[in-house]
Amino acid sequence: MATTAEGFDVHGDHAHDAHDHADHKPGFFARWFMSTNHKDIGTMYLIFAIIAGIVGGAISGIMRVELAEPGIQYLQWWAQFMGGANDINTALHMWNVFITAHGLIMVFFMVMPAMIGGFGNWFVPLMIGAPDMAFPRMNNVSFWLTVAGFFSLLFSLFVPGGSGPGAGTGWTVYAPLSTSGSVGPAVDFAIFSLHLSGAGSILGATNFITTIFNMRAPGMTLHKMPLFVWSVLVTAFLLLLALPVLAAAITMLLTDRNFGTTFFDPAGGGDPVLYQHLFWFFGHPEVYIMILPGFGMISQIVATFSRKPVFGYLGMAYAMVAIGVVGFIVWAHHMYTVGLDVNTKMYFTAATMVIAVPTGVKIFSWIATMWGGSLQFKSPMVWALGFIFLFTVGGVTGVVLANGGIDDNLHDTYYVVAHFHYVLSMGAVFSMFAGFYYWFPKMSGRMHSEFLSHLHFWTFFIGVNVIFFPQHFLGMQGMPRRYPDYTEAYTFWHQISTYGYYIMAGSMLFFFVNILYALFAGKKAEANPWGEGATTLEWTLPSPPPYHQFETLPVITDSMDYHDHRPASA
Amino acid sequence: MASTAPVTHDADTARRNLRVGMMAFAGALFMLGLGYAAVPLYEMFCRVTGFGGTTQVASETDAARAAAMASGQQISIRFDASTASDMPWTFRPSAPTDTITIGQRDIATYVARNNSSQAITGTATFNVEPEQAGKYFNKIQCFCFTEQTLAPGQEVVMPVLYYVDPAMLEDENMKGVEQITLSYTFHRTSGPESAAPAGTN
Amino acid sequence: MGQMHTRMKLAGIAALAAMAALFAPVSAGAQDAAAPVAVQATAPDAALVDAVTDAANVEVGAYTPMAPTKGKGMPTDPRSDEPGAMAKSLTFQDQYTDNGEYALGMHDYILLPVITVISLFVLGLLLYVIVRFNRGANPVASKTTHNTMIEVVWTIVPVIILVVIAVPSITLLARQYETPPADAVTIKATGYQWYWGYTYPDHGEIEVISNMLPDEEAVRRGEPAQLAVDNRMVVPAGVPLRIQTTATDVIHAFAVPSLWFKMDAVPGRLNEKLLTIKEPGVYYGQCSELCGSRHAYMPIAIEALPADEFAAWVQSQGGSMPGAEETPAAEPEQVALLTAR
Repeated sequence: MATTAEGFDVHGDHAHDAHDHADHKPGFFARWFMSTNHKDIGTMYLIFAIIAGIVGGAISGIMRVELAEPGIQYLQWWAQFMGGANDINTALHMWNVFITAHGLIMVFFMVMPAMIGGFGNWFVPLMIGAPDMAFPRMNNVSFWLTVAGFFSLLFSLFVPGGSGPGAGTGWTVYAPLSTSGSVGPAVDFAIFSLHLSGAGSILGATNFITTIFNMRAPGMTLHKMPLFVWSVLVTAFLLLLALPVLAAAITMLLTDRNFGTTFFDPAGGGDPVLYQHLFWFFGHPEVYIMILPGFGMISQIVATFSRKPVFGYLGMAYAMVAIGVVGFIVWAHHMYTVGLDVNTKMYFTAATMVIAVPTGVKIFSWIATMWGGSLQFKSPMVWALGFIFLFTVGGVTGVVLANGGIDDNLHDTYYVVAHFHYVLSMGAVFSMFAGFYYWFPKMSGRMHSEFLSHLHFWTFFIGVNVIFFPQHFLGMQGMPRRYPDYTEAYTFWHQISTYGYYIMAGSMLFFFVNILYALFAGKKAEANPWGEGATTLEWTLPSPPPYHQFETLPVITDSMDYHDHRPASA
Repeated sequence: MASTAPVTHDADTARRNLRVGMMAFAGALFMLGLGYAAVPLYEMFCRVTGFGGTTQVASETDAARAAAMASGQQISIRFDASTASDMPWTFRPSAPTDTITIGQRDIATYVARNNSSQAITGTATFNVEPEQAGKYFNKIQCFCFTEQTLAPGQEVVMPVLYYVDPAMLEDENMKGVEQITLSYTFHRTSGPESAAPAGTN
Repeated sequence: MGQMHTRMKLAGIAALAAMAALFAPVSAGAQDAAAPVAVQATAPDAALVDAVTDAANVEVGAYTPMAPTKGKGMPTDPRSDEPGAMAKSLTFQDQYTDNGEYALGMHDYILLPVITVISLFVLGLLLYVIVRFNRGANPVASKTTHNTMIEVVWTIVPVIILVVIAVPSITLLARQYETPPADAVTIKATGYQWYWGYTYPDHGEIEVISNMLPDEEAVRRGEPAQLAVDNRMVVPAGVPLRIQTTATDVIHAFAVPSLWFKMDAVPGRLNEKLLTIKEPGVYYGQCSELCGSRHAYMPIAIEALPADEFAAWVQSQGGSMPGAEETPAAEPEQVALLTAR
C-alpha cells in the first residue's frame, strides 16, 4: 500500500504536528491507536514503559519503606487500601502481591517494552536503512497486546488471590503455590497477563527477525549491521524460542487451576519441579533478553563518544550470539536447592561459568574501544561508563552464585536480590537511560539538559548503589528474599538500603524535569548532535526523522566511514 | 483504513517477508509444542535414567537375572512415608529400615489407615534418595502402581516387592552409598463427595 | 502418635516453665558474648527439675532448651557491642560444619579476591581511559579496531580464572553430596503452611512441631525474635545426620546459613542430604522458598547437643535411642504393627 508521497521531505521535522499533511500523517486517533509507523509505535512503547516503570518503582518504594525496620508497619493499611481485610494474614499476603507485581511489571512491562519495543522499534529500521518494520500492522497488535497484558495484571491486584486481593506467587509463579496454594481469580489474571504480553513479544520477535533479515538497505550486510541491530536480532531469537515455553508452562498452570489437569500436581502424577524446569528454560534466556539490547546500545554509545569504531566488532556480535546460545543450557542454576543430583549440579555449575567468557569479551572490548579514543563525557557516555562498571560488579557476583556449592547458602537470599538488581536495575536500566539520552534528541528533535542528565546520573548512581550494595551483606548474613519482616540484626543494612531508595527516587525527578524541559524549552536538535563519532544511519536523517524515511534506500558502501563495520582489510 | 501502511518495496519483498515471518512463527509454534511435549518427555527421561531418584519397574525376568548376579553384599533400605495435607490417612512403614542383600528381592510393607468417615481414594508418588540410586532401585510389585481406596476407618497393609540392582556396585556414583531411602507420599485423588470411579484426572 | 503429640506438648509447657526459671537469673549472662559456655553448662538444679516435673506431670529427662550464643548460628547486628560486629555483619555467618568451612574458605580466599580484583581492574581501566583519553588529553582518536593478541588474552585469561574457580567448586559439590552412613541419625523435616515438623523415625517416631515464638516471648527467652521457635529440632553434635525434607502443601525450603545448608522441601518427593554439625549450639535458619502469606514466619532452630544430652532429650520426648533394648516408649499400636510384619 504505497499511499504516501514519493520523495520524502528531508527537512520535514514536525513529527509532533499531527496535521502536517506534507508528511502525510494520519489524524490523532488513527495515528496513535491504529498506528503502523515504527517510530510512533516506538514512542508509545517508551511512554508505556515509563508509566509501567513509575508503577513498578512505586511498588518497590512501598516495599523499601516497609523494610526500613522490623515488624509490619504499613502492609495492613495497604491491604485495606486494595480492598482486603484488616488482618495480619491479608497484610502479609499484600507483601507477596507487591513483590510479584514489582517483578512482573519491571520485567515484562518496563524493561522489555522499553528496550525492544521502544528503542528496537525506533532504531532498528533506521539503522538498517529500512522504511519501516516488515509487518507494520502486526507491530501495532504487539503493542496493544502488551498494554492489555498490563491492564490484566493491574486488574489482578483487585480480585481475590488467596488470603487477600492480588496474586502473591512471586514472578516465578511456582506450582503448587500458584495452583492449589492460591484460591481466587487473581493468579489467573496474572497468568493471562503474561499470555498477552508474551504473545505480543512473540509477534514482535517475528517482526524484528523478518525486518533484519529482509529489509536491510543495499550493501548493509549482516556483518555491517550496527551492534544494536545485532543485539535486537539475538534478543528476538531468544524471545521466539523462550517465550513459547513459558506460554506452554503457564497455560498448564491455568488448566491445573481451573480444569482439573495435573501437569504439576503430584496427586495426579504431575511434578512441581517440572514447572521450575520449564519456567527457567524460559527464565534464563529472559534475563539475557533484558540485557542484550542494553549491550547493543552501550556499544553504539561508547563508539560514538570515543570517536572510534567498536573494537573487535565481530567478536562483539558473536559474543552476543554465544551468550544467547549458552543462555539456553544453564537454566537449572536457578534450581540448585530443589534436589538435583551431583552430576546435574556440576554440569550446570560449569556451564554457567562459561557465560563469563563472552561477557568478559564484551566488557574488555568496550574498554578497548575507548582506549586510544577521544572521549567526550556527554550524558549518554557517563551512563554507559556507569553501566560498564556496575554491570561488571553484578556480573562477578554472578560468578559466585554460579557455584552450586556456594549457592547452597546464598540461594533465595538478598545476595541474589543484590546480584540481579546490579545486572538489571543498574545494568539494564543504566543502558536504557544511556540509550534514552543518546537518542532523545533524535526522537524528539529537542536537546535535553546536559546538566540535569549528569545530575540525574550521579544521584541515581549513588542511590542505587546505596540500595543494593548493602543487600550483599544481608544476603551473606542469611536474610531470605521475599520477606516483609526480619530479625532485629538485619535492621541496620535494611535501613541504609531504604535511604538509598529515597536518593534514587529523588534522582528520578531530575529525569522527568529534564524531559519536560527538553520538550518545552530544549533547543532544536541537529541531525547529528553528537559529532563525527555518530556514524550510524539514524544520524543522517533530520531530528526528528520524517514520518516516512528511506523511501529511496540508502546504499552502504565499504568506503563509508561507518563505525561498526569491519575494515575492508580484515 | 486510515492507517498509512508504509511503503514496502514491492510485492516480492512482501512475499519474502511473509516467508521469513512464517518461518519465525513456525519456530515459535515448535517451541510451544516442545513446552507441552516436555511433560511426557520429562517423565520418560526420569523413568529411563532414574533422574530425580525415579525408581524402575522390573519384570520377574529382570528380577531373576538380578538375583543371579547377587554377590551377597548387603545394603540398608529406609522406608519413608508422608501424606499430603488434604489426606486424612495415617501412613507409615511397618519398620523404618531393613537390611537386604543386593540383587535379592525383598518385600516391605506400609500400613495405611483412613481416619476419616468417608471412603477415600489415594495415589502414592515416590522417589528414592540418594537420587543416583533411582536407576538401580527396581519395583516388581507396588501399591503405588495403582490407586488405593480405603473405607472409613479401614486399615490395610500395603506391600512393595523390590530389589536393588547389583549393577550399582559397578557405578562410581553409587560408591559409599550405605543406605537407600524409599519414600512414598500419599495424595488424595477423590474427594468425599465424588465417590466417582478412580481416575478423575 | 496422638499420644506422643500430647506428651510433646506437655514437655513443651515444661520447657517453657523451665525457661522462665532459667532466664530470670542468668539473662544478663546470656547477653554477654564471653559467658555462653557457662550458660550452656548450667547444671539442672533441683528447683528447675521440680518445676519441670510439676508442670508436665510426666517423667522427663533433664532437658532444658540451650541458650543461644550471640554471634553463633545467627546473623550479627552491626550495631551491637559485640567486638567486630560491623565487620561480621558484612560477610557470611561463622560456619559450624566442615563443608561450610570449606565453602566459606573458597569464598573468602578464592571467589572474593578474584571478583574484587576483577571489579577494581575494570574500574581502574575505566578511570585510566577517562583520564588518559578524554578529548582534552587526546583530541585525535586512533582508528584501531583489532588486536588479535589482546583478544586472545582476554578470552584465555578468564577461562583460566574460571578453571581455577571450578576445581574447588566441583570438589565442594562432591563433598556436599557425600552420602550419609547407614547409622546416621535420621531427621525428617516436613514443611507445612507455616511451620516445620521434625520426625525422628529411628527414635520411636518422635514428632516435634515447631512454631515461631511471638517476638516478645523470644526476647524474653533471650533469643532473636523471628528466629526463635517453641520446639527446636534437637540433634546430636559431631555425628553424621541424615536430613530429609518434604512438604505437605507447597514448596518450602529448609535453610540454615551457619551450617551452609539449604534444601527445598517439595510436596510429593523426599530430598536428603548429609549434615554433620561440629559442635553443640543453637543454629537458626528460615524458610527459603516463597510459600504463602506467612512465609517469613516459619523459622528453623536447630539445637545440637552432645550425644548423651541428645539421648536424654530423646527420652524426654518419649522416644528411644536405636539399639536400645526393645523400644519401651513405643506405643502399643506401633508394636502391633511391628509384629504384624
